[in-house]
Amino acid sequence: MKNLDRNRTRNFSIIAHIDHGKSTLADRILELTETVSKREMQDQILDSLDLERERGITIKLNVVQLKYHAKDGQDYIFHLIDTPGHVDFSYEVSRSLAACDGAILVVDASQGIEAQTLANTYLALDNDLEILPVINKIDLPSADIERTKKEIEDVIGLDCSYAPCISAKTGLNVEDVLEGIVKYLPAPKGEASDPLKALVFDSYYDSYRGVVVFVCIKDGSVKVGDHILFMQSNKEYEVTEVGVKTPGEMKKDRLEAGEVGYICASIKSIQDIHIGDTITLKDDPCKEALPGYRKMNPMVYCGMYPTDNNKYNDLRDALEKLQLNDSSLTFEPESSKALGFGFRLGFLGLLHMEVVQERLEREYNLNLIATAPSVIYKVTMTDGSVRYIDNPSMMPEANVIEMIEEPYVKASIMVPNEYIGPIMQLSQDKRGIYKDMAYLDENRNQLIYEMPLSEIIFEYFDKLKSVSRGYASLDYELIGYRRSNLVKMDILINGEVIDALSIIVHRDFAYNRGQAITVKLKEILPKQQFEIPIQAAIGNKVLARTNIKSLRKDVLAKCYGGDISRKKKLLEKQREGKKRMKAVGSVEIPQEAFMAVLALDDDKN
Amino acid sequence: MTTRIKHLYIHVPFCNTICFYCDFAHRVYDFSLAEKWLERLKKEINDNCKDQYETIYIGGGTPSCLSDEQLERLLNMIDPYTEEVKEYTIEVNPESLDQDKIDIFKKHHINRISIGVQSSDDEILRSLNRRHSFSDVKKGIELLKKNGLDNISVDLMYSLPGQDMDILRRTVEDILELDVPHISLYSLTIEENSVFGKRGISNLDEDIEADMYEYIDKTLRENGYIHYEVSNFCKDGYESRHNMGYWLYDDFLGLSIGASGKIGNNRYTNTRDFNRYLNNEYIRDEDLELSLEDQKFENIMMSLRTIYGLDIEEFNRKYDCDLEKEYSKGLNNRYIKIENGYLICSNFELLNNVLLDFMKD
Repeated sequence: MKNLDRNRTRNFSIIAHIDHGKSTLADRILELTETVSKREMQDQILDSLDLERERGITIKLNVVQLKYHAKDGQDYIFHLIDTPGHVDFSYEVSRSLAACDGAILVVDASQGIEAQTLANTYLALDNDLEILPVINKIDLPSADIERTKKEIEDVIGLDCSYAPCISAKTGLNVEDVLEGIVKYLPAPKGEASDPLKALVFDSYYDSYRGVVVFVCIKDGSVKVGDHILFMQSNKEYEVTEVGVKTPGEMKKDRLEAGEVGYICASIKSIQDIHIGDTITLKDDPCKEALPGYRKMNPMVYCGMYPTDNNKYNDLRDALEKLQLNDSSLTFEPESSKALGFGFRLGFLGLLHMEVVQERLEREYNLNLIATAPSVIYKVTMTDGSVRYIDNPSMMPEANVIEMIEEPYVKASIMVPNEYIGPIMQLSQDKRGIYKDMAYLDENRNQLIYEMPLSEIIFEYFDKLKSVSRGYASLDYELIGYRRSNLVKMDILINGEVIDALSIIVHRDFAYNRGQAITVKLKEILPKQQFEIPIQAAIGNKVLARTNIKSLRKDVLAKCYGGDISRKKKLLEKQREGKKRMKAVGSVEIPQEAFMAVLALDDDKN
Repeated sequence: MTTRIKHLYIHVPFCNTICFYCDFAHRVYDFSLAEKWLERLKKEINDNCKDQYETIYIGGGTPSCLSDEQLERLLNMIDPYTEEVKEYTIEVNPESLDQDKIDIFKKHHINRISIGVQSSDDEILRSLNRRHSFSDVKKGIELLKKNGLDNISVDLMYSLPGQDMDILRRTVEDILELDVPHISLYSLTIEENSVFGKRGISNLDEDIEADMYEYIDKTLRENGYIHYEVSNFCKDGYESRHNMGYWLYDDFLGLSIGASGKIGNNRYTNTRDFNRYLNNEYIRDEDLELSLEDQKFENIMMSLRTIYGLDIEEFNRKYDCDLEKEYSKGLNNRYIKIENGYLICSNFELLNNVLLDFMKD
């Protein structure tokens, strides 16, 4: 195979706010470059997880090699790295950006720039990437190309005079994007003759080949049979396979500087692989490793427990394998009186948490119970010592606590003018502190609030979307810990405190939350043969109480010869349902009950 | 297995009209289709019937919607197996009862009639797509009694769309006036494949359904009926022997489209597909080899439906086991008791919940 011509190589990402058409543009580029035949083409082709297609979002980065015959008569090799758009996955974005030299910034011409447009652009600028703005969805009646260009120029400071204006949906002007990549994005800088220096930016576990490591070759080259060294973990392996994604995996003889591809080396030990590590050759190492990635700290924690206690080890194995593919996930063992043995997992946000749970259940065939998400609290004890509490049930008794601090974020909300009022009201209700308002253009503003992270994960985001009919967008960053008047609220079912249901709540909101949770639990818990009281309490003080009436009648009335089968199947189905519940004392608690503590206050009606 | 089978069930898959709640195997009656079916059934009977049955049940569908001549032919086919029959039941609809049909029943020694009454409220009957009115029921029952056929069972439905406690009370009073020795009670279950199911009609509230069940139970018992099975009431000595066979988990032979049977450890359901039935040999939708565990559970499941319960000693002998040891979780259920060696469920209404405790993981 001909050596790669680095000058005719482009490595880039597509970055965008969620729903601005990133994956659709990737689909069109794959079609135009005939990387995927019409026959194989399907929507969101780079989103390989079922979950991504179902939800219409990108969760995982994905990489693909394309060949493009440009108008200058030359053939170019592109490595396109598709990235997620949601705030929770900015870690995925930053990883893929480190493997790139340029980025396409897609902005929806009917929406303008949004909170995540800004956040992702700053990530790209941090990585010294050239940015090519692309105005998308110009076929929509509500598209306003000039306004969008002006916003990009005013707010981000990017020159839009050469920005392609396209419709990824219809394919209009998509070729301008490909030409723009050739013209405006730089070629990779490395040298194929230098010692190997490759950035590990993703990996997954394959039961036949071991860990498959995705790399961007910055310098040098690597081929089958090479002895490679992972510089951070200091582990050596012999390469068994290298290749690129087109988008299926295609084996190659070698990968060299400028290429983005994968390496297999019969790696069975998952712990040896660190995302952000540098791979070099054992016998001809590079002088220094790449800077790697900033470690992302989880913002949200929850407990995950197998419904079947015997599956604890399976869950641990699954978490180890998933972490390989999602290095922002953290976990450590914990136990609960109600739920048995499980793990406390740390996530970058709520969507991340949902996605991890779904992936564990689908890809690893586990039945899990997740407890409600919690932030990490900083608790100063009366003796002066400090503890960090990521599990509400571990909160010490009130009499030994000097103060509790909780994480605050700076929230940036972009919103059309007509929704400013409701959003300010909402932010204030969620303990937000107004900081600033900046004009984006005559129709839109950016609001800046400081507020507790716990309020954002509780219901702020959902409400933001509903009060603005979906037009407001949100980005946030951690700004530190602040003291708050917080208390631990316990939930008692049939007189027993269910540790996994305890939450930390602001004292002013405790009564309403207690009401909402008990009502929600009443809906969720199946009736049993006896009446079950549900209570919300702070210490010994009961704030809210409700009762689940006992079950009166469940029997299928008719049952003759032919009904044996039907009747038994019904019972088996009921039994399966019970398997997804946890028996706590004499009460069966279904999975979703542990999320009931997220019940919205409005639900109580 | 050479043990004698005591119970025979034959399914007549035709009706004059299709009731909106029904998802049994059936077609609207059609003379020539019924001819083909009879021909096919004749072979099935010849191939399978080897015993003299204690109980025979001709159900449906609506057996009485066959023409008199077809009905004769059907009963002629069964005659050779009726020498020792103690209970021989046929299901009828009130509107198809007349002296000619009754004469045929008597000629063939049918001694028990099950009538689909469902409700005494004509409006509700219409909403179920039943063709008869309550006065048809009264006339039919009078005629049966006049002919000495007084072992009569009526089917009664509750928890129906549009039914409230007042309507139900009137219906129960009307049913009591009929003075029949056996009443079967069905709560409406909306089956996905029924007309109701397809129309998206939903069940009444669970509490109302429970109120209705409790009202019927109380009223019938006050009027001399024994609540001997979850959904069956009778005057003393009028239990359905055939159905007791199911509930005691006896073997039974089921023939024709959609019929089920159980012989030893084999439980089967015949195909519901007319074409497959008419054209082929015995095609079964379900044909299970039951494990010992399956049989034990099914035996418990069926027997706990009656007030007589499960004979523990016989159970232990039959399956060579120790019920009290094996099903300790079930035995601990608050609605399970043991009386004179019988395992009994003291709360029919929560039987499903009780049974879950008898299921093994």
